[in-house]
Amino acid sequence: MLNNISNREMDRRLILKGAAAGGLGIAGATMLAGCAPGDAASAGPVAFGARTVDENPTKQLQALVAAYTAKTGNEVTYNATESNAFQNNLSQYLQGTPDDCFQWMAGFRMQFFAAQGLLVDVSDVWSEIGSQYNESYKIASTGLDGKQYFVPQSWYPWGLHFRKSMMAEVGLNPDDIYNWDDFMGALEELKAKGLIGFIGVDKGGWEAMGTFDILNARINGYQFHVDLLAGREKWTDDRVKEVFRHWEMLLPYMNTNVLDLEWDGGRDMLLARQGGFFMMGSWFGADFKSVSDADYEDLWVIPFPEINPDHARDTIDAPIDGFCVAANGANNAGGKDLIKFAGDMEGVQAMLDTGVPMTSANNGQDTSTYDAFQTQQLAVMNEAKYITQFLDRDTRPDFAGPVVGPALQGWFKDPSSTNAMLESLQSQWDALPPLA
Amino acid sequence: MTIEKSQDKKKKKLYAQDIKDRLISIFIGIFALLWIFPIAWTLWSSFRPYTEIMKNGVLSPPQELGLFNYEEAISRMELPTYFLNSALITIPAVFLTLLFGSLMAFVVTRYSFKFNVALLLLFTAGNLLPAQLVFIPVFKMYLALGDLVGDRRFLYDNHWGVVLIHVAFQMGFATFVLSSYMKTIPKEISESAMVDGANVFTHFFRVMLPLLRPPLASLAVLMTTWIYNDFFWALVLMSTDKKRPITSALGRLQGEFTTDYNLLAAGAMIAVIPTLIVFFVMRKQFVSGLTLGSTKG
Repeated sequence: MLNNISNREMDRRLILKGAAAGGLGIAGATMLAGCAPGDAASAGPVAFGARTVDENPTKQLQALVAAYTAKTGNEVTYNATESNAFQNNLSQYLQGTPDDCFQWMAGFRMQFFAAQGLLVDVSDVWSEIGSQYNESYKIASTGLDGKQYFVPQSWYPWGLHFRKSMMAEVGLNPDDIYNWDDFMGALEELKAKGLIGFIGVDKGGWEAMGTFDILNARINGYQFHVDLLAGREKWTDDRVKEVFRHWEMLLPYMNTNVLDLEWDGGRDMLLARQGGFFMMGSWFGADFKSVSDADYEDLWVIPFPEINPDHARDTIDAPIDGFCVAANGANNAGGKDLIKFAGDMEGVQAMLDTGVPMTSANNGQDTSTYDAFQTQQLAVMNEAKYITQFLDRDTRPDFAGPVVGPALQGWFKDPSSTNAMLESLQSQWDALPPLA
Repeated sequence: MTIEKSQDKKKKKLYAQDIKDRLISIFIGIFALLWIFPIAWTLWSSFRPYTEIMKNGVLSPPQELGLFNYEEAISRMELPTYFLNSALITIPAVFLTLLFGSLMAFVVTRYSFKFNVALLLLFTAGNLLPAQLVFIPVFKMYLALGDLVGDRRFLYDNHWGVVLIHVAFQMGFATFVLSSYMKTIPKEISESAMVDGANVFTHFFRVMLPLLRPPLASLAVLMTTWIYNDFFWALVLMSTDKKRPITSALGRLQGEFTTDYNLLAAGAMIAVIPTLIVFFVMRKQFVSGLTLGSTKG
């Protein structure tokens, strides 16, 4: 699939255009919804596995399930598991007695299980609802065999987060930060005020992967990044060394307790106005909102600055969440029917009607209801031409967590060890058994 | 004069003993504080709102204290369902472990046959295998057995499947402890029972079992705690979250990205209550069980 992505250009601006024709999009979607689930009555009771117990997503999913039951009369069993436990146990879950359809993630993480025959091909669902999605989402939903195994629900972007008021205090205009030199200048000014410029966290082992992704994509471009993660390029390449050379330039502006802080430690530094910029997924806006509306309105996000003009700011990490059908489920047809409903604008609307903010993957979503921060997320997303899923979703699961995570943590302990670390990464990649 | 001297010596000895006692008390006191600190800290955290911690840090002085975390934890954890699941797993598992463990210990200590030591070693060695090492074969075996009887949920995704694996895992330890204890019970008791014409079952149920009460009580407390605290087996051997024990309900208080640690602390405090009850009910036996036999050389 990484191959597929690299061979096609995904123009994110198309989504914006689609959204601009909002009314038309919704009208079209509703018409489609009207004629789509015709065979639903025969689908029978369906079991749905949610990989979340969080309050807001649960509200959305239960609204989706209720809307589905109301429309088709099919009973749905809702089985929610805490996300980390669900993820760690997914392999057993899918081999045992899984729910008919379940919540999962796009990209390599989906392909990995599709290749083992644990997911059901949902190409026929795509032929019905595919017109409501941009091509890039279809590619992200496609397995290595060219068939679709996934229906997208929502996404969030990774970008540079900061507080507008803090930038105003130090006399910075964030709109002026376009390229690396602007960024370094801004960091210097923050440092002069005695603040931490760039908040670094990596206790969990995954947080810094976002910074690696974006540095690599900015310096070496999208193509090199996906090729590297797919093993078609070498970690020992000079171009990868260049990534760490740039990262080293950030170190003087970073906090020194990178390995003591999980991602939420970074969020709290931003809340407490101790640090300027925080490279993270935009999901934590909700936490700012729960502290106070004023804090939420103060939060802003911009794309990571341009480093190599050849690639400008054309790539973004924007992980997509969505749904799959489990091959070992009792009712495959019912599972397909439910995720078709979930992917259709009618199901998306049921989730949006809960009032829980969601940046949907469906073209039909009316973006005029977005608040300022959501609109800015969309703008950040739309500036990029290429979407990546995040390092631990774009490469082998037995490489990302167990190998890259500790390697980056080791690098923070000794940044002069770049060459040795990269050699070790390459040799560990080479030693991995071939994927079944 | 000699009497005075010896009294002096005695006084000195007493004084030295006094200092020793005090040192030991201080030492024990420090350890007690170290032990109690995490629990006290959890309790303290459970009364504070997470937004305050996010804003001002963990060590900030409290502005708001209350039971709100407990209220929310109780409403989100669906306590009755998960407590019932925990009971359905823990009670049969502890009962069966103790029953089989004591039977096993009885046979290997009271009857001498060729492999009894080897058998005891085998049971103890099995205890050393980490669960993470054997869970995949167990998982596949459960599924295969399920396919054999035509219902995949025969053992997998079933309380009894989890009960069985706990019994299998804990029996080694139970056998080991009970057999060590049984060795301290005079052989004469068994001999007189046999002379009086007791068969094997009468011998076990009417003579040995009443004598085993202290170690059984302490084992029961330990096993309850271990099995009650298990999350791993319930996770890998069950697919329906509504069947999992209370440890899984604690997971319901965690978010995918954001975890409200204060709410989690309140949940942990609630989840710990049943273990405390079991401990206090069996406390007397527990303490005597730990020390009994230790003075018999």
